[in-house]
Amino acid sequence: MRRSLICGAAGLLAAFLLWPGWAVAFEGEGTVRIGGMWPLSGPASFFGKAAFGLASLAVDEINEAGGLVVGGKRVKLALYSQDEACVAEQGLAVVKRLATVDKVLFSLGPGCSSVAEPVFGTLQKKLDDRSDTGLQLLFFTDIATKFGLAKLSPWAFRNTPDEPGMYDFVVKYLKEKHPDFKTVMVSYESDFAHSAATWNIALKPALERHKHHQVVEVVDWRWLDNEFGAQVTRLRKANADIYFSLTHTPSTCPSLRELKRQRVRPKIVVGITSLAGTEVLQQCPDVAEGVIAPSNFAPITPRAKQVADKAWERYKADSNIHSVPAYENVHLMKGLIEKAGIKNTEESLLSDRRKVRDLLATVGTFQGVVGKITMRPEDDPVKPRDVDKDLLLVQIRSAKWDIFWVPDHLKQN
Amino acid sequence: MEYYVAIGSIIGIHAMLGLSVYLVAISGQMSFGQQGFFALGAYLAGLSTALWGLHLLPALVLGVVVAAAVGLLVGFPALRVRGLYLAIATFGFGEIVRLAFLNVRYTRRIGDRVVGPNASEGFRHVRYIYDRGITPLEYLGIILLALVVVVILFYFLERSKLGAKLRAVEEDEVAASMIGINVTRVKVFGFTVAAGVAGLAGGLFIHYSSYIDHDMVALPLAIASVTYPIFGGLGSFVGPLLGAVALVGLTESLRTLHGAREFIYGALIILTMLFRPRGIVDEALVLRVKGWLPLRAARRPAPAP
Amino acid sequence: MSTVLLDGTEQLINGLMYGCFYALIGGGFTLLFGVLRRFNLAYGSTIMAGAYAGLIPVYLFNAPVLVLFVTTIVVSVLVGLLVEFCCFRFLRKGHELAPLMTTIGMLIVIDETIVYLTDAVGLKYPAPFGDESLALGPFLIRPDYLAILVVSVVSFSAIFYLLYRTRFGRAMRAVAERPDAAQILGVSVRHVNVLTFVLTSALAGIIGFFAAVSVGSARPEMAAWLTGKGLVVMVLGGLGSFPGAIVGGLALGVLEFEAVWFLGSSYRDILAFAILFLVLIVRPGGLLGTRTA
Repeated sequence: MRRSLICGAAGLLAAFLLWPGWAVAFEGEGTVRIGGMWPLSGPASFFGKAAFGLASLAVDEINEAGGLVVGGKRVKLALYSQDEACVAEQGLAVVKRLATVDKVLFSLGPGCSSVAEPVFGTLQKKLDDRSDTGLQLLFFTDIATKFGLAKLSPWAFRNTPDEPGMYDFVVKYLKEKHPDFKTVMVSYESDFAHSAATWNIALKPALERHKHHQVVEVVDWRWLDNEFGAQVTRLRKANADIYFSLTHTPSTCPSLRELKRQRVRPKIVVGITSLAGTEVLQQCPDVAEGVIAPSNFAPITPRAKQVADKAWERYKADSNIHSVPAYENVHLMKGLIEKAGIKNTEESLLSDRRKVRDLLATVGTFQGVVGKITMRPEDDPVKPRDVDKDLLLVQIRSAKWDIFWVPDHLKQN
Repeated sequence: MEYYVAIGSIIGIHAMLGLSVYLVAISGQMSFGQQGFFALGAYLAGLSTALWGLHLLPALVLGVVVAAAVGLLVGFPALRVRGLYLAIATFGFGEIVRLAFLNVRYTRRIGDRVVGPNASEGFRHVRYIYDRGITPLEYLGIILLALVVVVILFYFLERSKLGAKLRAVEEDEVAASMIGINVTRVKVFGFTVAAGVAGLAGGLFIHYSSYIDHDMVALPLAIASVTYPIFGGLGSFVGPLLGAVALVGLTESLRTLHGAREFIYGALIILTMLFRPRGIVDEALVLRVKGWLPLRAARRPAPAP
Repeated sequence: MSTVLLDGTEQLINGLMYGCFYALIGGGFTLLFGVLRRFNLAYGSTIMAGAYAGLIPVYLFNAPVLVLFVTTIVVSVLVGLLVEFCCFRFLRKGHELAPLMTTIGMLIVIDETIVYLTDAVGLKYPAPFGDESLALGPFLIRPDYLAILVVSVVSFSAIFYLLYRTRFGRAMRAVAERPDAAQILGVSVRHVNVLTFVLTSALAGIIGFFAAVSVGSARPEMAAWLTGKGLVVMVLGGLGSFPGAIVGGLALGVLEFEAVWFLGSSYRDILAFAILFLVLIVRPGGLLGTRTA
């Protein structure tokens, strides 16, 4: 009895000794601290680790080139990354850790849209309004793609794919290139906000706008489903020319295999934006052969190739549509930090954040890895603080992502 | 500082969930469905402030009342079954609530925001506390105040006749019914109060996070809420409180270990349970602590241990 | 009208075949629960660990599928014994909730190990039964489901033989019915417990293999899905009732397929849980269960 009591007490003691930890002293002199929150553990860690790798690469490059100049002094960038594990509660704690313990100037991430929702939702909504007690911390997001997230707060900026624009282009392209393909069937994941929104907010309005295609079947499943037989039978009966598979890799691969089993052979298969990474190539290159996906990144230019190779070499990080923006964001912010005239002291942290935010809001067009990127202004009614960027179509050929279509101005590179 | 406020807020909310499971557990049952009541409380309280313009207090009360009412309705048929059957039946209930919210679309445009539960896209813009100048520290105060109210309720409940009845039902249902305890009524009462407490936790959570969707009230939350009381101990309401503090604290304090974090978390749970199979605060410990306080114990003997 | 009937029949056939798979999962849980009177939440993780481990020889030496299958079973048994050792062996008697917690801890440990090693990316699984459905009249039959049907019939027959025709089976049933009496009669309860773990873990290996083959990949979300389905099937059929697990599995399979076809996937799980709820209210011991607790 006594022994177990002691054991219990010791266990408790250990728990408290490990309790969150030691606030880090602010070293204003040598570094500018920037933050990042991504899912570095748990089911979405593939995306989180990739973005972390690309952001680390950008920080390395800047520091190797001598760092940045703040207030006439040369300082280095320091990346403080935290794991949000794709869990809202953890995200809500981590954002406060970045803001008040790690004392970062701004933060990259979050990765999961379901974490970005509460994190952005609890940021300050009205600038300069003292009665708004939301957190004042600038976020410059790379992964979280769910439509309309940046609208939640003026402190939230995103360099993420513009899905309504992408699918509008895809529909227009298919209409012009294949006017004889008229029927369309669609699948999406009803419990995955990103997938459902790609159908409801991006593809469906685009199909209606172009008035060319006829939607003959729409089926849905859950993103971790294992059985797609009944839904694919419906697709088999619809037998449309074009199949939009707006699902993520875990359900895309088995469902495409089921299509093959049931001998459903649409003439063109278009995937979701997130598909354009290595995950699908590892899991089902055979059945996904020929699938087209809209993307913002492919190693088509020498610079893009170089970044992708370096990220893989140093951090085993996959360069894809979601991770490369983290790299671009760090490089853009470096220039802005130098221009903003921040003091980089613990006391000036709040006003420094505000200065950098205001500068980012006016940035307009900047250079990305593949092409030019344009930040939409704050008063944009549809998607403020989101970006427009070059879009490309990529296709799986011989188990590799290959270029299917690029805009003319990128071809010359 | 604000980091600790955030952890404190989450601990407070999860402690309430733990207490909710605890109340069902002390009548000898295990519920895996308290996240369903949490969701009901969250959606109702969120709707009340964000869409119907109510004050926070009536919003929370509405969430509690609806969750408790549903608890009462579900409790009568559900408590016919026991043990593992009940655990799975309640989990089924939680999943039904979650999947129902996955399909509920009830929105209105307020200014430039579309507010309300929006199916798989979730329920955004519950910004009551942030819009009204309530700081996170003050909101932590509100959460802790609510927790104290719940704890006081539990304190008196455990010392009341009803608490004794609940414990008697856990010990031996047949014997309890033979000495004239209406077993069903006692169990359903416990279940209803527990549902209300979970609803309160939900209402407090959505106002803290400003957002909720079906993914946040799925299996992981069910497992977490069951873990707190079993890990912390079922001897007294201090158990689930301790469980929530220790486990949420552990999640955050192991943060520096990166990939090994969850691994150590799981291993610590196993080790603790091997040494203390009835949780850290078990009945024996409660008796022992009562022994240290001779005055209180002498005046008010503990009900059936 | 006839197309409705035809479609319904097609889903019925698929549902029955997939139901065999559910029955296998439920059977594993039932065997464990029947003998130990405790439930093992780490069973799904045992299945998953086996499925992942089976890939190691394939990735290293490009081993044939048979090696994969055997590795899956062997590793599942080892993991099962680990679970027994860590979560059950040293627990004192009379603590019903403690194994619930220790197995949750084990579930976290196994899952996180796999997530950490693979970055949670699914790993491609070989397709030993090919990618072509067989045409049977107007219906298409998946070859891997056909294999599941055969394997589950064989497994169930073997388990029935073991339970009712061998000394070990008698000992197992004795321990399940009256552990104290069995002990007095000279049956080693610990021995039976360990052998039960070996048996159910071998079954876990078979389940893991077919679960991964039917999806085409091993992935970390398997564990939660398998645990959920297994518990639902076990409770639906009746705790500790082996025939109950078969009936429960088949019923769940058919229900899910028909629900997806006629109502859409949004209603599949709501309907399944609602029916589970109703069954338990009408028959608190499950479909074929006799005990009430």
